[in-house]
Amino acid sequence: MMNTGNPLRFKFAGKFRMFLVMMLIVSLGASFTSCKSSKKAAKKKAAMELAEKTAKAKADLLAIINDDGRMTLEEKEFKLATIKRMNLEDQEVKDLIVQAEDVLARERAAVERRKEEERMQREKEARERELREGGQFKAINLSLDAVASASDVSSANARIREAMAAFAGDDVPVLILISSDGDIKDYDRPTTIRKYLEFIKDQKKSPNKVLNAVLDNNGKIKELELIKK
Amino acid sequence: MLLVLLPLLGPAQAFNSLLGDESILNAQTKQVNQFFRRFNGEENARGDRYYPSDKDYRSPELRRKYLNGLFDQQNASMTDPMRDSFTKDVLSSGNPQFLNFHGGQWFAEVTTRFLYQGKDENITLFMKLEQEKLGYKWVISSVYFKHFHLMFNNNQESGSHFLHPLSHELDFMNLVRVFKDKEYVDLYTEKEYQPDYLTLFLYEFKKGNLRFKNVSKVKFHFFQINGWYFELSEFNRPGSNSGWLISGLMKIDENQKELLLKYILHE
Amino acid sequence: MTKILGILAALIFFSAGNTWAQDDISPSRKQAIDSLALEKVRDLSKYISIVGNKDTPWSEANRVIERTLELFADGALMGVSSLSREEVNYYGVREYLERLMALNYDKVNISWYKIQYISDLERQPDGRYVGVITIYQRFEGTTKEGLRYVDVTKKDITVYVERKTTQISGRIIGFWDVLLGDIRVSETKPG
Repeated sequence: MMNTGNPLRFKFAGKFRMFLVMMLIVSLGASFTSCKSSKKAAKKKAAMELAEKTAKAKADLLAIINDDGRMTLEEKEFKLATIKRMNLEDQEVKDLIVQAEDVLARERAAVERRKEEERMQREKEARERELREGGQFKAINLSLDAVASASDVSSANARIREAMAAFAGDDVPVLILISSDGDIKDYDRPTTIRKYLEFIKDQKKSPNKVLNAVLDNNGKIKELELIKK
Repeated sequence: MLLVLLPLLGPAQAFNSLLGDESILNAQTKQVNQFFRRFNGEENARGDRYYPSDKDYRSPELRRKYLNGLFDQQNASMTDPMRDSFTKDVLSSGNPQFLNFHGGQWFAEVTTRFLYQGKDENITLFMKLEQEKLGYKWVISSVYFKHFHLMFNNNQESGSHFLHPLSHELDFMNLVRVFKDKEYVDLYTEKEYQPDYLTLFLYEFKKGNLRFKNVSKVKFHFFQINGWYFELSEFNRPGSNSGWLISGLMKIDENQKELLLKYILHE
Repeated sequence: MTKILGILAALIFFSAGNTWAQDDISPSRKQAIDSLALEKVRDLSKYISIVGNKDTPWSEANRVIERTLELFADGALMGVSSLSREEVNYYGVREYLERLMALNYDKVNISWYKIQYISDLERQPDGRYVGVITIYQRFEGTTKEGLRYVDVTKKDITVYVERKTTQISGRIIGFWDVLLGDIRVSETKPG
């Protein structure tokens, strides 16, 4: 078929061969040239890389300096450290590093300050809780528990006498909160301090602790509110 | 609420060996309320209530497990196929059936002891739940007392005991014959007459002829499950198959229900 | 017209559900109320143990009886039966406790099973809620001669729960009044 061939095809084949030959020449020529200038090219490449690195570092530094909260402080600190490790000689980069360090130092300080504030707040709350649960009412709570843990009737009675000293009288009302659901507060049937102390003595358990106590002018408790321990 | 098991009873733990196996007490159906909850699958194995939002609330698996234990296993008249058939109906996936405390169609049969004419006598009170104002209460719906029934065992065939149709012309002077004999007096009443035993009981009580002594037995009759009747009794015996259990079971249709009801009520 | 409205309102009110499970009290509140009821039953168990204990001084036992009675609604009864005699004997709570105190044993040991069962709370016509808490007690009495009597009883204890308010130094306090009612005491066979 080729031999009998259509002339158009033949013509094309001839052109194609020419193209291949040309390509061969070009590529040979190119390799010949590169061989000659490889040192120069390497230098150029290094320079290009350095330029790229510098540009990237500048962009990163600007991003760190102008960050509006997209990155975490740790991320920014890591990026800055990476850039510093590159030891770039570019003055602009050096200036930006100084700026970025300044920004991050301020941010870091703010974070530390916040942490410290939170710690202080926690401590304050703990102190308040201590005051509420342990401190201010500790003595009453202990005196209630002492009645429950008395070894016999006569020592329980002695503990009751001691506990009663803090109260305005036998009939001081005692409220026991059993649940609170929003504004709704549910109490057990109100009792009196004398009855409550006897209850603790009989049951040998002190299931509640002081939630609130109202004092009279003599500093004696005139109303006691308890809650389950 | 059972989460707060804590130290109920202080040194209870120390007595464990003395108290025997508490898991058996746990398995017992301790209240009728527990029978309802187990039947419906509304509590866990420890007896803590399930609420509709809980995963296992009324779950068929849970109900199947409980139902098996709710029959008196010493009662041979409730055969396995019968119980299986009942369970299948109750747990039917298309139409599961539940017991409803306020749903009616169940009542109590309470055997009581009264002093009557110098002797202790059993009187059976039939009681049901009735709604009133804010809640419910148990009320006496009917009563069975042997002596009342013997007295009113009314034979409707009057035989020679009737007032002839012209008695009115004689100013009913023949009533003298009616009230000569205690035995036949009911034969002179209208066809529809039915003695009201509850009224009779209350009358005797108010007259001071009946004095309450105590309750000797309680059981319940349930007609709530379609196509079935069962009886609930308390079995005070060792082992886990004890407490409130199904003590009788019958597959019945609606007509038979009426008949059975009359039979239970001695009507 | 107002009459009709009143009846309508009443109907709506009554159909609003009468069981504990259906009303609008939140589950956490219900649980707190349930726990409170169970606490009262535990308190009762402890008081019974104290009264029954032969080491309890007479004056203490009497004081505890008074405290126990405060747990109960007026007129509450104990209905007692044993395995040998099924019929129920009725005692007032005070009578029951005084009999327990006077029992002629040298040593009495009352202990309680850890099993308890709490029914649903149902509303009764007067609006109060009523429930039953079941507990189990083991009693062991030993005579001077060393004879031992042991029984185990199931106690089904009625519990009434009612929401009340009171005023304490000018504040309105809402509280749940939990009172114990009749108790059915039946001898049982454990295990």
